[in-house]
Amino acid sequence: MTPTTTRAADGVRPPGGTAAGKAAPGTRPAPAAGRRRGRRETLAGYLFLTPWCIGILLLTLGPMLVSLYLAFTDYNLFDSPRWIGFKNFQDLFQDDRWWTSVQVTLKYVLIGTPLKLAAALAVALLLVKPRKGQGFYRSAFYAPSLIGASVSIGIVWRAIFNDDAVVDKSMSLFGWDVGGWIGDPDWALPTLTTLTVWQFGAPMVIFLAGLKQVPGELYEAAEMDGAGRWRRFRSITLPMISPVLFFNLLLELIHSFQVFTSAVVIAGSGTNTGGPGDSLLVYGWYLYEQGFRNLRMGYAAAMAWMLMLGIGLVTAVLFKTQRGWVHYEEDAR
Amino acid sequence: MGAGRWTARARGVRAAAAAAAVLGLLATGCGGGSGSGDGKVTIRYSWWGAKDRAELIQKTVKLFEKEHPNIKVKTDFSEYTDFWSKFNTQAAGGNAPDVFQNSYAFLRKYGDKNLLLDLNGQADAGNLSLKGFRDGLEKAGDIDGKLLGVPVGANTFAFFYNPDAFQKAGVTVKDGWTWDDFFAAAKKVRKSDGTLYGASDNANVMYLYDLYLRQNGKAFFTKDSKLGFTKDDLTEWWGRWQQHAKADELVPGKKSEQAKPKASISADLSASEFTWDNFLVRFAAETKTTLDLGPVPTTDGKRTAQYLSSLMLSGSARTHHPKEVAQFIDFMTHDPEVGKIMGYNRGIPATTAQYDAYKPQGVDAKIAAYEKSVSAKLEPITPHPAGADVAEAAFLRIYTQVALGQSSMGKAVDQFFSEAESALGS
Repeated sequence: MTPTTTRAADGVRPPGGTAAGKAAPGTRPAPAAGRRRGRRETLAGYLFLTPWCIGILLLTLGPMLVSLYLAFTDYNLFDSPRWIGFKNFQDLFQDDRWWTSVQVTLKYVLIGTPLKLAAALAVALLLVKPRKGQGFYRSAFYAPSLIGASVSIGIVWRAIFNDDAVVDKSMSLFGWDVGGWIGDPDWALPTLTTLTVWQFGAPMVIFLAGLKQVPGELYEAAEMDGAGRWRRFRSITLPMISPVLFFNLLLELIHSFQVFTSAVVIAGSGTNTGGPGDSLLVYGWYLYEQGFRNLRMGYAAAMAWMLMLGIGLVTAVLFKTQRGWVHYEEDAR
Repeated sequence: MGAGRWTARARGVRAAAAAAAVLGLLATGCGGGSGSGDGKVTIRYSWWGAKDRAELIQKTVKLFEKEHPNIKVKTDFSEYTDFWSKFNTQAAGGNAPDVFQNSYAFLRKYGDKNLLLDLNGQADAGNLSLKGFRDGLEKAGDIDGKLLGVPVGANTFAFFYNPDAFQKAGVTVKDGWTWDDFFAAAKKVRKSDGTLYGASDNANVMYLYDLYLRQNGKAFFTKDSKLGFTKDDLTEWWGRWQQHAKADELVPGKKSEQAKPKASISADLSASEFTWDNFLVRFAAETKTTLDLGPVPTTDGKRTAQYLSSLMLSGSARTHHPKEVAQFIDFMTHDPEVGKIMGYNRGIPATTAQYDAYKPQGVDAKIAAYEKSVSAKLEPITPHPAGADVAEAAFLRIYTQVALGQSSMGKAVDQFFSEAESALGS
């Protein structure tokens, strides 16, 4: 689990092409036979790749190209698409609800992701030291992420935070009567955010793996120099796991931008879209409403590409800043 | 070692080729036909609703299969909004259910896209009877000469109220009362009972505003698929409700959002509410409070301008079994046993055969009495153009934002007009 270190990359054989050249350098047979065998190997490589190729062509690349085309059309799912150039994109910027969805999503991502990573790191730090029942605790903390993507957990969340449900009732005991959190435009988004923070299991496991790779002698040396706990964390742990942190940050950001299921399950009842006063109108939900309910598939495709551009931009910026704060072990050598 | 590896590789290549071939076969297998081969015809039937409806419908489907042993019915259902998303996706893929629950609001939307089976042909062929419908309901699915749906149940708008709260406040609900009377009553109830608001804030219910417009010689939609009112009209309507909401007589926006999925009246927040009369069945399950149905307020002291709307069954234009679909619809609309099983779950049965077969009890009896009391006043329904459903959703959402204090009146009215006009235009 050390992403993007060069040593790990060496271990991975690039598929096809150059594979034959590197194979068994000591026992290289006659050149002609080698070439023939090389070609066979290449062929076999590609053949083994076919299921994946078919998958990516039919299920990913193909639909993406179609969606790119649709983004420039007026398409209602039933009549054939009509080319309208950049009109969908122009309309987006005029659309108040689109801006609302951008704002809601940004709030969700910018608040939820750091909190989630902080929780994941904190729990990973607790779990990295060997102790009794370690396996149990690790699984227990990971469990919410396993079930988290499913609809059922959204329903549970709704049951907990609804009007007159557990949270509302216990808060009322302390004289704080907010009513249902999900129906309250000010509390709906924080409720959704707690759901994502609670599902910190996946980044936690990755943090755990990263923490285990930090050499113990660094801490010993630091301790001898009189470094306190906080100092050791700041100056050893954080820099040493920064590649893992970077990886987690990237993954979680991209993931959060695409939030859909939890928002819909928590707040979507009857004809209700976007939660109370559109306070839960996350980007994916608005896209879905436009495409599948209002039958504006071209507009929805344009929205999808704007989201892709947005995520691409954020990722690019992160990669640019990487030099400033991510330390790879190899740099020191 | 070299030779051994070579054969191993060759075997690998062969295995890969075989795998590719199998994949190819699988792919073609998936695209194969769906004929069952034993002379039986299978039709797919979808509807929206919850578990209670599903249980009743399963019973009626079993009954149909017994009567028509050569037809098998595959069923599925989902909640209202999910139903239409799913339907849109399936229909776009040329795979719409053969027969499905529909409502008047969607006939033009899907009729314009040639997705609905014109049932006139099947009626002429004798597979579907259009006789014995109440109040001319056999015409309800007639759109420009095509029969795009047949009603299974009908409902009309009603004023729901809590009789105890109204009595305590000394207010009576009577035929021909006006909107001023209604708002005055709401105020009195609020004054006399600290725990209940006088009425739910229903300014965002398209069907209620439609009645108000019709009382004033207009309607929500015009025949040429436009909005039938001006921005000033809407400002006046929403403004009037806002004025009473701000006076603390109507349920505040936040409270009614929090009460969802219950309605404000069935969450015991308000003493009155406007909605379709068959909702009494649902409300009775949600609250212990007794609720009664009363007349819709009028503008001139006489006209409520109400009409019958209906849930229908429609067929898909792409179905391979139009005859069986027609037989199914015929059975579901006329068979007395089906009427007995379904009760008023989808509104009052549309045919006299089913209407007479079911003896209403409890809340159903109240609905029956209410419909009887208004049957003389019923008028033709307002036409619903394609996009009506999107306009309805926008109407609901945008006023809710006003009630929540998120949007000013002027901005909200502008936004509604822009969203509705773009939905009706496309």
